[in-house]
Amino acid sequence: MPKRKLDPLPSAAFQILLALAGEDLHGYGIMRQVAEQTEGRMRLGPGTLYSSIQTLLEAKLIEELEPREDAALGTERRRYYRLTAAGRKLARAEADRLADLLRVARAKKILRGEYV
Amino acid sequence: MSEKLYAFLLRLFPSRFRQSYGEDALQLFRDRARDETGLPSRFRLWLDLLADLAISVPREYFYAQPELLAAPTDHAPGSPSFYVLNQGAPRPGALVFGFVLSVSALFTFSGLLNQGGQHRALRSSASPRQSFSSRSATGAVHPSPQAADDSSFSVSGETSQETNDSASAPASRRGATCCAPSRQDSLVPNASAVATSSSPLPTIPAAGSTLTDSLSPQPNSPVPLASASTQIPASERHSVITAAIDNLKRYYPNPALAERMSDSLLAHESKGDDNATTDGTAFAALLTRQMRQISNDKHLDLAYSATPLPDEAGQPTPQELASYRDFLLHNNCTFEKVELLPGNIGYLKLNSFPELSVCEQTAISAMHRLNHASVLIFDLRDNCGGEPETVAFLASYLFDHPEYFYNPRENTTQNSWTHSPVSGNLLADKPVYILTSSHTFSGAEQFCYDLKMLKRATLVGEATGGATHAGVFHRLDDHFGIGIPEARPINPYAAADWAETGVVPTVQVPAADALAAATKLARARLKQK
Repeated sequence: MPKRKLDPLPSAAFQILLALAGEDLHGYGIMRQVAEQTEGRMRLGPGTLYSSIQTLLEAKLIEELEPREDAALGTERRRYYRLTAAGRKLARAEADRLADLLRVARAKKILRGEYV
Repeated sequence: MSEKLYAFLLRLFPSRFRQSYGEDALQLFRDRARDETGLPSRFRLWLDLLADLAISVPREYFYAQPELLAAPTDHAPGSPSFYVLNQGAPRPGALVFGFVLSVSALFTFSGLLNQGGQHRALRSSASPRQSFSSRSATGAVHPSPQAADDSSFSVSGETSQETNDSASAPASRRGATCCAPSRQDSLVPNASAVATSSSPLPTIPAAGSTLTDSLSPQPNSPVPLASASTQIPASERHSVITAAIDNLKRYYPNPALAERMSDSLLAHESKGDDNATTDGTAFAALLTRQMRQISNDKHLDLAYSATPLPDEAGQPTPQELASYRDFLLHNNCTFEKVELLPGNIGYLKLNSFPELSVCEQTAISAMHRLNHASVLIFDLRDNCGGEPETVAFLASYLFDHPEYFYNPRENTTQNSWTHSPVSGNLLADKPVYILTSSHTFSGAEQFCYDLKMLKRATLVGEATGGATHAGVFHRLDDHFGIGIPEARPINPYAAADWAETGVVPTVQVPAADALAAATKLARARLKQK
C-alpha cells in the first residue's frame, strides 16, 4: 500500500500550512482560517482535515501542542498545531513555485497586470 | 440527534483513524453545527460532511498504516522482519483471482470433509475370502464395543460337534487358556458372552476355540461346521434381506451408502442371484460380499449360526460374570508365563487382555517382574483378545510419553491413550518382540497393529487372525445376525487396519518357531549394543 504523499503538495495540505503560518490553531480554527483565506471556496471536512494533519505531522511539517481550551469556544480542551521550520520552508518553496507559474502565466498574457 | 448521526457515520473510518481523530472530528462537527445555524447553512454543512466522507473514507483505507511502513527503519539487524516491498496496490484481477481461489478451496475442503468417512484411498481393496464363510459357519458374530448398547456381546452358536471337538482338544491347543470359560460354559446354551454392563469397553470374545477357529482367515484352517449348516427356504432368504436392509438403514453411519447397499441387495435378489444359494453359511457370505462390493467396508458382516441365536443379546447373567472372574483368578488372569530367559530376555506369555477391574494387580506385578529385562518378548500366539483398556494399560509400559492407541471399535476417547510414563518403569526404551500366530485375535491384534505402526515392536510369527470385532451385533432372525460398525474412529496410519487381512509380522516364520526366532533376534540385537 502506498504511503501518503506530499509531493506534489496537495492543496488542502498547503492551505493548512498557510493557515498555521500566522498563529497556532486547533482543528476548527484551521478550518475557519482556510475558509477565510480562500474566501469560502475551500471548506475542509473533518476527514480531509485530520487526515491531512496526520500526514503533515508524520512528515514533521507541523507539530502538535499540549491541548488547551479556546476561550471563545467553551471549556473543551483542543489540540493545537504549530508550523515547524521545515513546514515553513516547504510552504515557502510551494509559494515560490506558484509564483514562478504566475510569472510564466503573466508573460504569456494569460493573467492581467495587477495580479501578484 | 444530528451529532449522533455523524458519530455513527464516523464508524466508516478505519479504527486507527477514529482512535486518533474521532473525538476531534466530532468536536469540529459540534463547532460548525453551533456556528452555522439556519436551514441553508445546515444543508451546506451536511453536504460538506457527506462529500468529505465520500472522499476521505476510501483514502484512509487505501493508505498503509504508517507504523507498518515505518517498521523496516526500526528493524534491529539480524532479527527477522517483514518488509513492504511492493508499494503499489494489488491489481483488481489479482483480487478477483484470490477471491475465486479462496472460495474454491473452501468448497473443496468442506466437500472432502463430508466424503472423508469412507477412507477409500487408505483401504486395501476388499477381497472376499474363504475366511468369511468359515467364520460364519459357527455363527460367531461379534459384538459391540458400544457399551450403551445392550447387544454388546460376543455371540457364538456352538454345535455339539464343535463342543466335543474343543472338549477333546489338548490343553495346549491354541486359545485353550483364554477361552476356557466358554469351554467350561459350553453346556450352557449360548452362554459364551461375557461383559460388564457398566463398562464402555468391548467384551472379551469369549467364544473360545470356537471363535478362534472359526475366525481364522487362513485358507487351510479347518472349517468345522460347514456340514452343520442347514438349508434355508426362499422365504427366509427374503426375510433376512429385508431385516438386513432395515438394520442397515437404521444403524449404518453413512445413510447414502446404506441406501446403495440396500438397493444392491434388492437388485441381486430380484435378478435371482441369490436363488442358487440355499446353504445358510454360503448365503450369509454372499450377502456380505454384495454389501461390501458397494461399501468396501470390512467391518460389516452378515453371519449365520446353525444353532438359534439368543432372543436378545442381553446382559450376561451374574453367574456368567462370576464364572468369568473365577476363571481369571484361577488362571493368573491369563498371564500364562512371566519369566526371564537366559540373556536377560523378559518373556511374557499372555493369552488374553483380561478385565482390569479383576486383573490390574496381576498385570502390574507381571510387568514389575520384567522391569529389569534388557529385551521384552510378548507371546500373543494364543491370545484371543480382550479389553482395549488392558491393551493400552500394558502398552503404557513401552513408552515414556502418552501414545495414541488406535482402536477401530471405539471412537477416540481419553482411554485411547496409553498412561505413559509409568512410574518406576524401565521398559520404555527396551526392544520389544511380539510373537503372533493365525490365532492371535481381536484385542491382541490391536496391540500388535499399534505397536507395529508406532515402530515400537518387531512382530515375529504368522499373520494374525484379522478380527477387529468392530461391528455392533444385530439379530436378524433365529439364525442370521449382522455386525454393523457404528464407531468410525480415524485411523492415523496410512494403511488399512487388520480387518480380514490380519497384522502381518515383520519377520514371518511359522508360529511354532516364533519364540526361537525372536530369541535369536533379541540376542543378536543385545550383542550389537
